[in-house]
Amino acid sequence: MSSIKLPRTLRVALPFLATLAILAPLTWMWHASRLPAAYSVMDMGYPDYGGVQPDLSMAGHAHHQLGHPFVPRRSITDLIADPTRPADVRVDLVARQQQPTGGASLAQYTLNGTSPGPEIHAIRGQLVEVHLRNESVTAGVTLHWHGLDVPNAMDGVAGVTQDAVPVGGAFTYRFVADQAGSFWYHSHQVSNPQVAGGLFGSLVVRPRSVVTQQLDVSAIAHTYAGVRTINGKAEDLQVPARGGERARVRIANTDNGPMEVWSSGPYRLLAIDGSDVHRPSEVSGRSLTLTSGGRADLEVTVPTDGTAARVQVSKAVAVITGPMGARTPVPPQPAEDLDLLTYGSPAPLRFDPAHAMRRFDYVIGRRPGFVRGRPGMWWSINGHLYPNVPMFVVREGDVAVVHIENRSGEVHPMHLHGHHMVILARDGVRATGSPWWVDSLNVAGNESYDVAFQANNPGIWMDHCHNLKHAAQGMVAHLMYEGLDTPYRIAGPAENRPE
Amino acid sequence: MRTVYKVLAYFVAIEVAVQAMAAVWAIAGLGKWVEGGGVVDKALMESEGMPFPEVAGFIVHGINGTFVIPGIALLLLITSFFARVRGAIKWAVIVFVLVVVQGQLGFLGHEITAVAALHGLNALALFGTALYAARRMRTAAPSTVSPPEERVETPV
Repeated sequence: MSSIKLPRTLRVALPFLATLAILAPLTWMWHASRLPAAYSVMDMGYPDYGGVQPDLSMAGHAHHQLGHPFVPRRSITDLIADPTRPADVRVDLVARQQQPTGGASLAQYTLNGTSPGPEIHAIRGQLVEVHLRNESVTAGVTLHWHGLDVPNAMDGVAGVTQDAVPVGGAFTYRFVADQAGSFWYHSHQVSNPQVAGGLFGSLVVRPRSVVTQQLDVSAIAHTYAGVRTINGKAEDLQVPARGGERARVRIANTDNGPMEVWSSGPYRLLAIDGSDVHRPSEVSGRSLTLTSGGRADLEVTVPTDGTAARVQVSKAVAVITGPMGARTPVPPQPAEDLDLLTYGSPAPLRFDPAHAMRRFDYVIGRRPGFVRGRPGMWWSINGHLYPNVPMFVVREGDVAVVHIENRSGEVHPMHLHGHHMVILARDGVRATGSPWWVDSLNVAGNESYDVAFQANNPGIWMDHCHNLKHAAQGMVAHLMYEGLDTPYRIAGPAENRPE
Repeated sequence: MRTVYKVLAYFVAIEVAVQAMAAVWAIAGLGKWVEGGGVVDKALMESEGMPFPEVAGFIVHGINGTFVIPGIALLLLITSFFARVRGAIKWAVIVFVLVVVQGQLGFLGHEITAVAALHGLNALALFGTALYAARRMRTAAPSTVSPPEERVETPV
């Protein structure tokens, strides 16, 4: 530097200019990433019409981008179950916050004094009415019906479909449980700490027909402050049964990461994410990866030699079905996974993905930048950081195909609200087994999936990572139907923080 | 500014040492936890709790590596513009580039484990470079204060 003769003024100014050249773009990026005190998800990011020309006369999206302020739009608050129909199942839930004392009380949050909250039972077709009251959860609460395609106004996402219920407040959820299967419910306000802290429960919808298993067991797996539990207890779940009896074991993973499930004997995977597998064959020596938010219904038969059927939910805890006191050693974890791409037998779908009207990309990456004014290595969606994420736009009746590609190097359990996705292919290899329906999809690092869904449930729906820490870091996009709007705001006076 | 530069460069070196200690401490804790019958899977790793106290090592490593060290390296780079010492900018740039590379190797190492090994090797390069950048300030002469003919040659 010193060998070059520079005018004195420039020599003095140069260090300042160099500093400015570094700090100015950083400051600009920081400033641009800050979020207003209240904002609508409708104003977030950019619309993605999936290759279809938007119908501007009906343009629902984007207060700013499309600028059709006088087009009347339907509010999602109208999207409810028949208000005149009486409820078949009524449940009162009281949410409380407490100081975890360890031991038997691991939870920071409870519903009706327990965590998990009470299991809600319904028969398919029944109208379920849940009255939620917040007694002491200071940040407010909501309830989201994970995996059930409820009407949008009942979806329980703070700042999108409702305001968070403050202390002393209440909210009544009404929906028809029109699918038999295993589901769960959890708070979708400040969801990462609230779900981790115990604000969730099981929801089981049984078919009207007679079931073939003698036993029906719910096992909701959760890690409270580093302690793995089943149904809130850090021990194996013992289910008394006689030799030869068959049990349906419903396992739900309420954690932020996938866990492995395997069994001491052969099992059949009856359902995944509440959707039946078509002609499930018997499986031995295979482990099932149950992703975050996912559910798996396994059928096991109690051996007749006096031992028990043991379903491991990770190595830590198990569901043990058999004679009381029966000793069954922990089965070794199979090295190989059960591949649902080829499991079961094909069956016709309710729609034809080959005639998809919309094609979307959901490419997950990771890059440095600012989110909410904070620097870091952030998850990106189609190259963009929150809140500049895509708003996937569909019209009712559309069939949409989504290419989900994970380039981030870390596993992401992708959860689409209000819809079921059917897997078409993984890494370009077509699915050949039973129709594989999911609401929570384990997308491992460097994996890609092609999925399809039918746009048959109007609303504004979250499409996010169910590692709720990742969601809180901005891994959240939305799916919306043309012509809709929401009156709710993220942040704002109700302090809605859905992640 | 030379003192600030020197202190920041030393800080980078100290932080690299802290990173190495934190990572090994955490891995030792993980090993001990497994040894005692503890089970680790992704669900546990992503949970809010601390099944063993050495988890703090992973957290420290993550925060240091993502925020603190890049921040110090950036400050070092800015300071180097004002240091008026020959080679100050060059060595600050090298430190900064190694920090960026180190971060990328770290994140990529989650997926490709061989890259994680390079993360360990690059840490040594960064440590040595930061230490050198700091130490050469002791003998370095200002590059612009004295006339060129009186300049004292600095090593490298």
